[in-house]
Amino acid sequence: MKIVTFAKHVPSSVVTPRIAHSGDRIDEDGLSHEVNEADLYAIEEALYQRSLHKGSVTAITIGPGRAKEALHIAYAKGVDQAIQVVDEALRGVNPVLNVMAAAKVVKKLEYDMIFAGIQAEDDLQGQFGIGLAEALGIPAVTAVTEIRASPGEKVATVMRELGGGFKEEIEVDLPCLLTIQFGIRRLRYTPVMAIVRSRSRKIEQVTVESLAIPTEGLQGNAPLRVMKLSYPEDGGRCELIRGSAEEAARKLVHKLVEAGVV
Amino acid sequence: MAGADVIIVCEAGKGQTEAANTRLIAIGEELTRHCSGRLLCLLAGHDIGTKAAELSRHVDEVCVADSPLLANYNPEAHLKIAQTLVEELQPRVVLFGHTFIGMDLAPRLASRLGVGVASNCFDVRIENDALSFMRPMYRGRINARVVMDFRPIIVTLQLGGAEPPAAGRAGTVRRIDVGPVENAKIKPLRTIEPAPTGIDIAKADIVVAGGRGIGEKQNFTLVAELAEALGGVPACSRPLVDMGWFGTSHQVGLSGNTVKPKLYIACGISGAVEHLHGMKESKTIVAINKDPDAPIFKVAHYGVVGDLNEIVPQLTREVRAVRGGKDPRRET
Ligand SMILES: Cc1cc2nc3c(=O)[nH]c(=O)nc-3n(C[C@H](O)[C@H](O)[C@H](O)COP(=O)(O)OP(=O)(O)OC[C@H]3O[C@@H](n4cnc5c(N)ncnc54)[C@H](O)[C@@H]3O)c2cc1C
Ligand SMILES: Nc1ncnc2c1ncn2[C@@H]1O[C@H](COP(=O)(O)O)[C@@H](O)[C@H]1O
Repeated sequence: MKIVTFAKHVPSSVVTPRIAHSGDRIDEDGLSHEVNEADLYAIEEALYQRSLHKGSVTAITIGPGRAKEALHIAYAKGVDQAIQVVDEALRGVNPVLNVMAAAKVVKKLEYDMIFAGIQAEDDLQGQFGIGLAEALGIPAVTAVTEIRASPGEKVATVMRELGGGFKEEIEVDLPCLLTIQFGIRRLRYTPVMAIVRSRSRKIEQVTVESLAIPTEGLQGNAPLRVMKLSYPEDGGRCELIRGSAEEAARKLVHKLVEAGVV
Repeated sequence: MAGADVIIVCEAGKGQTEAANTRLIAIGEELTRHCSGRLLCLLAGHDIGTKAAELSRHVDEVCVADSPLLANYNPEAHLKIAQTLVEELQPRVVLFGHTFIGMDLAPRLASRLGVGVASNCFDVRIENDALSFMRPMYRGRINARVVMDFRPIIVTLQLGGAEPPAAGRAGTVRRIDVGPVENAKIKPLRTIEPAPTGIDIAKADIVVAGGRGIGEKQNFTLVAELAEALGGVPACSRPLVDMGWFGTSHQVGLSGNTVKPKLYIACGISGAVEHLHGMKESKTIVAINKDPDAPIFKVAHYGVVGDLNEIVPQLTREVRAVRGGKDPRRET
């Protein structure tokens, strides 16, 4: 079974990015990046499926030079092939371009299943997978937490989440695209040394420019335009309790007693 | 007036149906008031006559697609119905709830129509007839105001926040045809309900939740002890369920439970959008987190910035002292 899995390089989870002067994007200077969490689950599941059905796993990222790191990690985890669509201009964050570029690259590959993360932690959109499936004319199932594939019969039975603990079992024809939900499989630890070693493995690079993607809809009159970014306000309602752990605990409990909740 | 109408795609299934529909009606009302269009509702499912009648009191027309084919969520069939209706009615806006169904169906519809979708929106602004929406990015650390230049505008709305609006309309109910989906490549087999566990964190008055900041499973004892001292229940964020420490019945959030206790204490939880979904309406929220920028502080009433391993045991001790439990420290 041949699996293609997507990995997006997104700003690290532990910091709040700075908003750039233009106000409509973030400032990438000095920002560290990591593999989108849902994509780690997708890679893990792809490798598991390969262990059951043989075949190969190809990881793809779309982004500027630094995004290669996502593929080093994918190699360290065990994928067979890695492709980067180099996008210096839009840095892998334009959803329309991402889908068109991915479709062009994937069309040249053989695949039974394509995995994408349920959502990227930077744009929180959760649309790439469906967009790509539509572009390729293959069925898509989202929020998948379990996959039983029968590549011989060209079909898979998958479990998807419906929210609130409800699930749905779905049969889907192969080839298909599945968006992978957190927790589908336990994430295995990737030793730093394995990542370092994988830096020498070959990454196929294609530039966005070489894919000859029509530019309308990419800027200006885009389907979704960010006007302005802002930091969330807390309405001034969060009262920070300071002091040592002991003092803070005493003050907090006092306030909760006063408020009548304890 | 064509082009000014708003379609709300309501839900008839299991899960977050009510919360989604309430929110859709509230925002749909607001939009149609400003755009002077009609408020229309699409309801697809099976055996949904009662629900359609209920909804008709809030909208101008309910378009009901009722078929055994729709008994389970059926992406292809639901998409076909939504697309046919939108192409027929040419609305200005199509609103979905940010539920798992909305998250699935809205991008499908947008893709088919060649337009964008703004997901996860929590605020709508109408200025000089222009619509803009507020949505989170970067794990909720930054908000974005977005606009869409194409029609229809497709949006998924975060649930909660809105009071159920009073029934103020007497809408018509129109049945729409549900033909078979040709060459279906996706076949829903069955919907599975969560197994009863006897645990219902949604009923508790006090919930103490631990997140990934707990670090090791054994440290969860700290959270459980604080919960016990307060007479509340322990709960957790999703990563703890994904790591196999707990079942979904303990999980707070979009894919777990929605709780509205009088006191919610979040220990080592960053406050991702999906977590907030399940607890932001708690009466009093306390956050303990070592990252002063963690989004959880944006919804908290009280915050302690620091290491939960130090703070939580002190809290437990203090609560025991106040509630008359044993306080070993003061006994010596
Ligand atoms: C469709 C969908 C549905 C989802 N449903 C849910 C859901 O129902 N519930 C849910 O919770 N998530 C859900 N998620 C996942 C969600 O996006 C986040 O990944 C998750 O909520 C993060 O959990 P966390 O806050 O525990 O972990 P993290 O985001 O990793 O945060 C850990 C926090 O602990 C703090 N910390 C670390 N060490 C300490 C210490 N010693 N003392 C104090 N603080 C410390 C850190 O500063 C950090 O803020 C869903 C995601 C998707 C895409
Ligand atoms: N630039 C990108 N490079 C690689 N994968 C991507 C990219 N953008 C989106 N994806 C994939 O699509 C998923 C959902 O992204 P989104 O629709 O942006 O929330 C991610 O988890 C990735 O698997």
